[in-house]
Amino acid sequence: MSPSAAIVGVGKTAQGTLPGATALGLQIAAVKGTLADSGLDKSEIDGLLTQPGTTAPEGAYNYLRLGEALGLSLRFGGSFAMGGATCLASLQMAAHAVSSGAANAVLCVFGDVARSGGSKFDRAAGWGDSWGIWGMFSAAANSAMTARRHMHEFGTESRHLGEVAIASRRHASLNPDAVMRAPLTMEQYLASRFIVEPLRLYDCCLISDGAVAFLVTTLERARDLRQRPVRVMGAAQAHSPETIGNPDWWYMPHQRLAIEQVYAQAGVGPADMDFAQIYDNFTISVIVWLEQAGFCERGEGGPFVEGGRIQLGGELPVNTAGGNLSESYMQGWLHLVEAVRQLRGECGDRQVPDAEIGLVTGRGMTLNCSAAAVLGRG
Amino acid sequence: MMDYLKPLPTITDENEPFWSGLEHGELRFQRCGGCGHYRYPIAPVCPRCLAVDFVWTPVSGRGRVFSYVVFHHAYHRGFAADLPYNVALIRLEEGIFMFSNIVGIGNEAIVCDMPVMVDYERVTDTITLPRFRPVLMP
Repeated sequence: MSPSAAIVGVGKTAQGTLPGATALGLQIAAVKGTLADSGLDKSEIDGLLTQPGTTAPEGAYNYLRLGEALGLSLRFGGSFAMGGATCLASLQMAAHAVSSGAANAVLCVFGDVARSGGSKFDRAAGWGDSWGIWGMFSAAANSAMTARRHMHEFGTESRHLGEVAIASRRHASLNPDAVMRAPLTMEQYLASRFIVEPLRLYDCCLISDGAVAFLVTTLERARDLRQRPVRVMGAAQAHSPETIGNPDWWYMPHQRLAIEQVYAQAGVGPADMDFAQIYDNFTISVIVWLEQAGFCERGEGGPFVEGGRIQLGGELPVNTAGGNLSESYMQGWLHLVEAVRQLRGECGDRQVPDAEIGLVTGRGMTLNCSAAAVLGRG
Repeated sequence: MMDYLKPLPTITDENEPFWSGLEHGELRFQRCGGCGHYRYPIAPVCPRCLAVDFVWTPVSGRGRVFSYVVFHHAYHRGFAADLPYNVALIRLEEGIFMFSNIVGIGNEAIVCDMPVMVDYERVTDTITLPRFRPVLMP
């Protein structure tokens, strides 16, 4: 069932390297921006969901700390961590909370000082016996395993990964708020150093300071607020907790399950999408999501991204603000902001003409949890 | 062996049979007493049938390289001197997936689906790691 909910405000801080900033201070700034954007008064907020940043020592207390700072009284709240799937899982929960009446208006917030705080994303996965015993460290390595198998099984090439990096950078060059705006050529991409082969430097997302927030309320309440509402046509999660106990772990089958749910809820399919904001912690992620989301067949994601097809002006513009790779690494939260702004028609030089429906995806942890949403112009 | 700087397993009641088996040149896994499923990572219950009973069962040690990566960056100082080093995801004949390292050939010679056989490397007085070596096909 599709929830009767809308996104009525978005906010974000400056992104990149913000020395002296704190995650809490950034979260507060993003919330204030969101309230101003929406025109909704703080007194109407009765739900708060947050993703603790990588440098937040308070962990699951994060929403209480932020709620205390903001002077909120809540009927619905919590902090949880699904990595890059948290944003859209928060959207799903917020949408159902307002649809059911559990809350009237839910703020969803992420803030982090990963760059200034020195977060490395270098940990080894594995319960009990760590994968680090064999040297298997970092988020990059998990995605590199996926990329290598994809190359072997389907003939995907380095230059296909490069097409994703180049498209993101081109879009970031049209986004005044993006961190990395200098153009990237295929020559530069192919000459960049390997981090975890087959992934190179430009296959990897940024590490950034910043915060993002958005506000969800009922469609009914949304109608007399400041912004044209953005409808939550579908929002879903899916998880594959088994990691390497699941033979398909590398291909992230839960992504397909998340997608099937949101298409069914929204009554749409891939051909209906005017754009897609696809989780891109590493370039290979975009290629696999494009397959899972039905824009092309399994294994055809590499050729699909060629020829400018995922660039603005192409068949399916992807990550129109630059994504985690070039805009800023907000663990997918900026993907949602960009989708909302595209549907409101606020994106200037990078606006997708007449954008009415878009897909947003997220994935986190050990490649094993995901969330997706279909958003529509209200 | 005193200056082994890489992570080592923490031996517990749960994983001790896995690691002591390797000391004796035996790669073994938990095989479910209810449905026969080999489970790995080591776990308190079968993820297929939820039976608790299991038998530590030796496997053939034969498998294939499902995927592999080559690290050009040391995320852990213990591996800095090994750069560039490989980590492979091995699919054993019995269907088990495990991470390990390919030994005996250069990183550039590794390919997905190549057949491999377990090899044992004693890295400290008490720990032997399973690695994998390419098998020459007749």
